[in-house]
Amino acid sequence: MPFRELNSVQLDILKEVSNIGMGHAATALSQMIGQRVNLTVPNVTITEISQVPEHLGGAEKMMVGITLQILGDARGSIMLLFPEESAHRLLCSLLGQQEKGLVMTEVSVSALKEVGNILASAYLSALGNLLNKTLIPSVPLLAYDMAGAVVDHVLIDLSQSGDFAMMIETDFGGEPDQCLAIKGHFFLLPDPATLNIFLSDVGGSV
Amino acid sequence: MSTRVTIAQVRIDQSPAVLKAYGLGSCVAVALYDPEARIGGLGHLLLPNRPKKNALGSESKYVDAGILEIVDQLVQAGANQDRLVAKVAGGANMFETSYQTLIKSIGARNARSARATLASLGIPILGEEIGGNRGRTVEFDLATGNMMVYCARDDDQVSI
Repeated sequence: MPFRELNSVQLDILKEVSNIGMGHAATALSQMIGQRVNLTVPNVTITEISQVPEHLGGAEKMMVGITLQILGDARGSIMLLFPEESAHRLLCSLLGQQEKGLVMTEVSVSALKEVGNILASAYLSALGNLLNKTLIPSVPLLAYDMAGAVVDHVLIDLSQSGDFAMMIETDFGGEPDQCLAIKGHFFLLPDPATLNIFLSDVGGSV
Repeated sequence: MSTRVTIAQVRIDQSPAVLKAYGLGSCVAVALYDPEARIGGLGHLLLPNRPKKNALGSESKYVDAGILEIVDQLVQAGANQDRLVAKVAGGANMFETSYQTLIKSIGARNARSARATLASLGIPILGEEIGGNRGRTVEFDLATGNMMVYCARDDDQVSI
């Protein structure tokens, strides 16, 4: 089913499913960095593919993108995007004091991939429990470059079945005094057939 | 003066305009230019080939269909197809290793489709900056036909 044809009830279902999934992901992240992580309600946006880089803050903004495939009973992929400042803050929490800017070493790449892995696994396991499906994430891959270049990977996948993308925006906010404002964007990219499974299993008519 | 060409869009203009495409990963930017009429076009294209049937959505997301669209628009605007020259940038593989899927070599397939389509139209490619694993921004200057390619990550720029 093309994203554009989703009605408001179906969008609410996807939003709620994502909310639950991201809640689990936030708990996992909080345990990993040893700090409280607050999470704002995901904003589910259906947008034209050409507008996606705008929603991320511009095509030239430097971003870290982590992508995983969904394997198991449903197919699709997941992409997590962190603006470079947020990726840097994450690394500071995970690995201790870092250099001033974001430097991609083997250790930092590996740490960020692990964050992606944990968030995606927590999200998929929550989603899988809800839908009574087995959803397994693949090994994560990482790219650090301009937002437009990182997401076009995802957009190419989507553009084969239409001109629209579904984005789930997520803000991870920590304790206010620690200034741990980590922003991230989360793309869930179910195959069109998988989207139908998601919707029918949670009671939305397709 | 400088006009932005977003994903899945083609645009033409005349000297002294500048056409820009930001943040190309596996996408390719194809620039066509008539040096005498000083008009040209730029496409920010996503997928290698338009499927024969059941194509969904806009035409200008396909490399082959997008190039034909630029040529059509340029000829209508007064360009001579025999004088057209091309420059191609993008077609990277952003994720170091990839799954065994379609996405695996989508950048390379986009670049290949651009070359094949241009060859079938008899349009020579004067410059290329394709492949690798880095994102690019291109600026196509219609006064000169030059294409500047910027890479944000390693702060590099080349003129093709």
